[in-house]
Amino acid sequence: MPNDAVVDIDCITKRFAGHTAVRELTLKVERGAVYGLLGPNGAGKTTTIRMIMNIIVPDAGSVRLFGLSRTGRDLSERIGYLPEERGLYRKMKVMDLLVFLAETKGVGHAKAKHDAQAWLDRLGLSDWAQQKVDQLSKGMQQKVQFISTLLHGPELLILDEPFSGFDPVNTQLMKDVVLELARGGTTVLFSTHIMEQAEKLCDSVCIIARGEKVLDGPLAEVKRTHGGKHVIVAVEQGMASVDRVFRDSSLVAAADNYGQYAELELAEGADPQRVLELVLGAGARVTRFEIAEPTLNKIFIDIVGPEAATARAEGESADA
Amino acid sequence: MRKIWVVIRREFLEKVRTKWFIISTVLGPTLMLGFIAVSIMMAEGGVAQRRIAVVDVGSGGLGEQLWRVVSAPEQWEVRLMEYEPAALERVTDSLTRAVGLEELDGYLVVTDDAIESGTLEYRGSNVSSLTDMEVLQRLLQQGLMIARLDRVGVDPRLVSEAQLPVRMRTVSIRDGRETEESAESVFLLAYVMWIVLYIAILLYGLQVMGSVVEEKTTRVVEVLISSLKPFQLLAGKVLGVGAVGLFQMLVWGVAGWFIVMRRDVILEQFGVDAGAAQAIPMPEVSGATVAIFLTYFVLGYFLYAAMFAAVAAMSNSEAEARQAQTPVVMLFVIPSILMLGILQQPGGGMAVAFSLIPFTAPIAMPVRWAGAAVPIHEVVASIAFLAIALWAVTWVAGRIYRVGILMYGKRPGIRELLHWVRQ
Repeated sequence: MPNDAVVDIDCITKRFAGHTAVRELTLKVERGAVYGLLGPNGAGKTTTIRMIMNIIVPDAGSVRLFGLSRTGRDLSERIGYLPEERGLYRKMKVMDLLVFLAETKGVGHAKAKHDAQAWLDRLGLSDWAQQKVDQLSKGMQQKVQFISTLLHGPELLILDEPFSGFDPVNTQLMKDVVLELARGGTTVLFSTHIMEQAEKLCDSVCIIARGEKVLDGPLAEVKRTHGGKHVIVAVEQGMASVDRVFRDSSLVAAADNYGQYAELELAEGADPQRVLELVLGAGARVTRFEIAEPTLNKIFIDIVGPEAATARAEGESADA
Repeated sequence: MRKIWVVIRREFLEKVRTKWFIISTVLGPTLMLGFIAVSIMMAEGGVAQRRIAVVDVGSGGLGEQLWRVVSAPEQWEVRLMEYEPAALERVTDSLTRAVGLEELDGYLVVTDDAIESGTLEYRGSNVSSLTDMEVLQRLLQQGLMIARLDRVGVDPRLVSEAQLPVRMRTVSIRDGRETEESAESVFLLAYVMWIVLYIAILLYGLQVMGSVVEEKTTRVVEVLISSLKPFQLLAGKVLGVGAVGLFQMLVWGVAGWFIVMRRDVILEQFGVDAGAAQAIPMPEVSGATVAIFLTYFVLGYFLYAAMFAAVAAMSNSEAEARQAQTPVVMLFVIPSILMLGILQQPGGGMAVAFSLIPFTAPIAMPVRWAGAAVPIHEVVASIAFLAIALWAVTWVAGRIYRVGILMYGKRPGIRELLHWVRQ
């Protein structure tokens, strides 16, 4: 069977002075996928992405892109890369900058200019094409940076924490554009530490913590195989009135009480109907009762533990 | 190769469009013109308008003899006043007041024993003018000599004849041939080479540093490095900034050549006489001299640009880079200042040594070349050493650059740098 993985990472390891940023990580991104690389800050996401881009070289293991043995840099005309640390030449005119960045990826001057104009028009920046970057607002600079990632029509988009630092309007705009490109066949690999965003966008995910893979696979499959049966309960009088029910360990294995509602993971063999009966029996008026898939966040916390999910791993500065 | 070209073009166009470039390009020829105009005016009008009194309180005769000699400069209006010795105090009081009222610039007191002791006194508001005092001193020396010879019966006319000034024409010999160059013009050429190379190598080297720091602090470098090899980026940057330097020199060169060619017309605007303008010693610049100049500029600039790029790559901010640049700047500046000595002795031992050491050769060799004949094998050896050093420095700097541009945080120590280089 021909290997149709656009990104094929095989057992890569990267050590920095004093710590291992990524350990024996293996993952595959299929063509056309929207793939989320998830993990807390300092988990090794940026290091992994930099190794995909060949900005840094793994100490062990290999990265193959488009099934070729050429590096990310050699294939830069086929890849759009948005680094976690955003930045543009402040003194350059927007148009000149976009054309220059496209040219470094091998696009011809005239085509780069034409396409840059099209994107600027589309994102409402055409009046700013001849302005210097530092005369633009922060939000406009973000758009320019985003355009520079897409301008050369890449087959693979690699976005490192694309939603951090962008304001809500631009975030929405970017999601729309990315999803549209994905529908058109562009493969998207993005990293984030915000599980809710990944859940909305991804069809496949890979969760890493402390430089190691915790789990990966299509989102639906991950949800089916991990976390067991989940129930979401909300009642009128407040959750305290039914707290006793949640402490019944023969029924509930774990409960996350958020105050307005609670997410319960049922014990092995427990029946959701029994939970409903007991809640009603406690005299509460139920406003919401849902047999739900676990959220990605819940799966993540269950697997790696809350410390790993929230604590910043050591040596993050070298990784950031 | 195409990608390097893209980087070169960006670097060139962005730099050439800056105000800094436009101002310095225009300022260069303007300063040169001003420099020439001022130096001519100084040579011409070195002696300023003065009103001076020669006060003779002796038995007479000496004052008159000195007065005649001191009146020689056209710009000086000299009066002779003769008084009894007893009147000295009264006269000096009133003359001092006259100087205070600016009716007079100063007065010279002549006594009889001056002829024996050689001691004269001048009081005036212009004693801090070195030119005035030098001229006065020279004239008085001459005057006293005439007076002394006169006293022993030598005809003053004979003395005047004996004192006819000597005019020595200097002809520079280069490669066994006489040239039209005079000593002044050779010195001028060497001096101009020194200044231009010193400024250009330092300035453009620092431009490379600034450019690397900018890419690092704005974090553009990460996007760039995802599509360009660090070497492509560095090479494009160094070549692009170097091209700006060459372009600026071309503008300066053409403007300078034009000014020199049309100096009579241009200097007339400054009120300088056309004849005086033509008489300025102008160096003869041969094709070989231009080739030497450009070769050493390019090699020297590459050498220092590579070092400055490495310095920038290991810094996190402009301020940090300015600190870290000190060793490189010192390596360049201190020998350059010492090298001013080469201007005086272009064939001396220091000149030869400096023109062979790669880090000093970029300035020392062109300056030597301008000042004296340099054996061709020394030029070849100097360029060879420089090329080897350039290769080695670029190799090390390139490795530091490659790692440094993506490193943020603490500046690396020597041990860490060595690790980067060996990686």
